[in-house]
Amino acid sequence: MGGESNNEGEMGLNHGHDPSMPLYAKADPYFSSSDWDPVVNGGGFSSSPYPSVVMDNPGMSCFTHYQSGSGYPDMPASLLPFGDCGGGQFLGSEKNGESVGRLMRAGESHDQVSDDGVSPTRKRRQAEAESQRNKKAVEEFQEDPQRGSDQSQKRQKDGQSKETMNKESSQSEEAPKENYIHMRARRGQATNSHSLAERVRREKISERMRLLQELVPGCNKITGKAVMLDEIINYVQSLQQQVEFLSMKLATVNPEINIDMDRIIAKDLLQSRDRNTPTLGLNPFSGFQGTIPNISTTTNPQYNSLPQTALESELQSLYQMGFVSNPSTMSSFSPNNGRLKPEL
Amino acid sequence: MERQIINKKKRVFSVEPNKIPPSEVFTRKYTSHLVPALKKLNMNKNSSQVNQLTVKHEVDMALALSAQEFAWSRFLLQKLSSSNNPTTATSSSSNGIRIQERSGKEGGGDEDGEIEEKLRELQKLLPGGEEMNVEEMLSEIGTYIKCLELQTIALKSMVQDTT
Repeated sequence: MGGESNNEGEMGLNHGHDPSMPLYAKADPYFSSSDWDPVVNGGGFSSSPYPSVVMDNPGMSCFTHYQSGSGYPDMPASLLPFGDCGGGQFLGSEKNGESVGRLMRAGESHDQVSDDGVSPTRKRRQAEAESQRNKKAVEEFQEDPQRGSDQSQKRQKDGQSKETMNKESSQSEEAPKENYIHMRARRGQATNSHSLAERVRREKISERMRLLQELVPGCNKITGKAVMLDEIINYVQSLQQQVEFLSMKLATVNPEINIDMDRIIAKDLLQSRDRNTPTLGLNPFSGFQGTIPNISTTTNPQYNSLPQTALESELQSLYQMGFVSNPSTMSSFSPNNGRLKPEL
Repeated sequence: MERQIINKKKRVFSVEPNKIPPSEVFTRKYTSHLVPALKKLNMNKNSSQVNQLTVKHEVDMALALSAQEFAWSRFLLQKLSSSNNPTTATSSSSNGIRIQERSGKEGGGDEDGEIEEKLRELQKLLPGGEEMNVEEMLSEIGTYIKCLELQTIALKSMVQDTT
């Protein structure tokens, strides 16, 4: 461990001479995914719009502390937040989906590594030493990793069930898996550790809100968090009221339930076909048309294999949220032969 | 034969899991949970007096069971199973009233306070939202919205089918 810290120290000190060498290159053996490099490099060093990281002795000592405290398995985990910070802060330089995708992959690979390395929660500050410099400063924060690792385990099991549902796991793995957030204070802004943490948090929140904006109908033109939140609240409320109303109605007509699975699915597809845009709008009473090609109203529900085209776009945009829905893959329904083949 | 149909209905995993769109999966799961439950309700009650609240309960239960990948569904399940007497039906309708409560509380940092308030309101709407931190809650809200939409569609078609 002493040798390791020495290496880190050398790299930290050599930053001026070798800006292209990433600070975390040493940790590459612990990283299975190489996708991190662009994020790390772009964030840390030459190629990004931000100037290079200035790491001095306090930074090195932090690394030492970190390693001695928790051991190697935590090392890769520490690099995650840097990437996440990259995702949060450097969104201007790369696409949202990309960064989320990268984080997701690296996050998944990390789950095995950092499972046992649960380090105690501690907060670190380099604000005093680094704020003396007038350039950007790097700070380290440590969030609660225990809760994080639990959640990440749960989420990984759930997230592996369906690939298209990775949106949830990817986005939730960002937050829990951070043991450190390597923030870069922008020029002229306070380097106080609190305000930096606050800024990280805010950026994450605004990122999520951007994604929500695509989900709630009619919110493209809205700028501003408050109005957007209002819209979301109203939408959720109206959806809940609709559900309640419908369930009341269902209660009154309950005795003759005559469910047609294919019809329900077909209507679902029709609704998604209507929403041929990135914003999925729910038009409650416009989706029901009489031109459903495979209607068979019988007493026992019948199932048929449905085309899997239109809905992919719909829920992909939900679960991955950063991706634009794919309206071009809609095709007509396959004819219903009344056979039962929902899945094989 | 019918039993085979019912059994096959419940299985929603396919050999190639990526091919089936998740919303379809959700809808299938949802209806496969809800329809038998309603039929059972029907048979148990033995009359047309099916209680509205129990139907709502079943509706919520089906929603929670069909979306178990998400955190809010776990909270919803908890809520439903803990309060097994159908008192939870009024929760969604009273949400509209509760929203107005906190609109008067604004301290320093006006705009931020507003936003925080709204986030808190949003948290109340989501089952279990108050126990999550804000970022998590925002992602969960997205999936919740989606599932609510699908649920509405399914319910609508159920209602329409029977009228």
